[in-house]
Amino acid sequence: MSTKDFDDRVLGEATGVGALPPPPSPDLLRAVGGMKPVRTRRRFAALAVVAVAGLVGPAIVLVRGPYRRDLHGLPIAWLCAAAALWGSAAALSLTAALVPRRGDVLPAPSRASRVSAMAMTALGLFALLATVDVPGLSMLPAERGWTLFDSCLHCIGTVGKVAVVFLAVGLAILARLVPVGGARVGMALGAAGGAVGGLLLVFICPFAQTAHVVGGHVGGLVLASIAGALLLPALARMRPASTAVIVALFAALLLAVG
Amino acid sequence: MATEPEAQEAAELMARYCRGDAAAFHRLYAMLAARILAYLTGLLGDKAAAEDALQLTFLKLHEARSSYVLGANPIPWLYTIAHRTGLDEVRKRKRSRVRLSKDGDVPAEPAAHITGTAAEGHPDPAEPAEPAAAGALAALAQLPENQRQALILTKVHGRSIADAAMITGSTPGAIKQRAHRAYVTLRQLLGRKEVA
Repeated sequence: MSTKDFDDRVLGEATGVGALPPPPSPDLLRAVGGMKPVRTRRRFAALAVVAVAGLVGPAIVLVRGPYRRDLHGLPIAWLCAAAALWGSAAALSLTAALVPRRGDVLPAPSRASRVSAMAMTALGLFALLATVDVPGLSMLPAERGWTLFDSCLHCIGTVGKVAVVFLAVGLAILARLVPVGGARVGMALGAAGGAVGGLLLVFICPFAQTAHVVGGHVGGLVLASIAGALLLPALARMRPASTAVIVALFAALLLAVG
Repeated sequence: MATEPEAQEAAELMARYCRGDAAAFHRLYAMLAARILAYLTGLLGDKAAAEDALQLTFLKLHEARSSYVLGANPIPWLYTIAHRTGLDEVRKRKRSRVRLSKDGDVPAEPAAHITGTAAEGHPDPAEPAEPAAAGALAALAQLPENQRQALILTKVHGRSIADAAMITGSTPGAIKQRAHRAYVTLRQLLGRKEVA
């Protein structure tokens, strides 16, 4: 390797820094000439819309019940900690996915993926190390085997039903908004929906076993974030009409499953 | 809120543009088109394609202006739109069909001047006049796409690592690493050439 360096300005010259740009094209001038005032976006508007749409279902379930049968026997401190952790994970992930930092137009993809990854790790560790049960009241499926798998599948389904609303509404808003970094933002959006599903399960899931909570609750959260990471970049590349059709199909699927 | 004077001015122009002020669009274009063109030229390695992508970038900005958040700095956003437009162009080129010769090679296109006549005797405005700049452009073309983007944004356009991460949809750590690797590779390529 030569030790001789090069002048950074050469790169500027090579890429034409300082070169005069062409004037706006006739198409662009026509578009600008015929423009009307537009209403601009507000930083927290998307967050409010997705949160309201996504929280309606879980709120109805919580109001109507039934709750897990060991709820009254659980340590109140644990219940508060679990609810706070799942709730914070949802709020932070949703904010990172939808709210741009002050002075920015778009949400930062790197912040979205970092926040949601940290939230998922924290929830995974909490489920692994701090799952509690009430002897005689909590249901404990077999440690492994079909019973455990079936119980996990049931909770993954519940997390999925909650997350799909966040994903459908969030993707409809973000698909045209995030030109790059869609996978990272989609991951955070899915994680937010999954965390709300997990929060709901804290109060309604009768199974209080580490393997079940890790596999069914945290597993559902991870699957929701993967779905968001895969769907958003795919939708962002499509035409608006195709995006609308896919989001509508997604919502119809949700209704059918519900 | 945008803090630097330039960002503040761009934010004010963008706000007026969203309110339907065409003059604000023209001032915004005059302020930012040159650097977006340079970014696209670095990304695509072809001035003519970069000029087309520039127009497309501003058209996309026009269509997406309702997504603007009042008071925000529109410059990184415009770079992000340009980045996406440039990537789409690169992908389109990879997909596009080419006519091969009998040997399976791509025949060279006869050079032509903008007037439609043969290029002989006309200097090509797309080609950098300086040999060093031409060498740098060729060396840039040899870099992996993501390294080239990171290097151009941070070293040539002076965007911050955080801005570059936002523009490319990557992480600040990845941008630092890619820019460093690109710089080392470029130093090898250009240093070798200069020494030779």
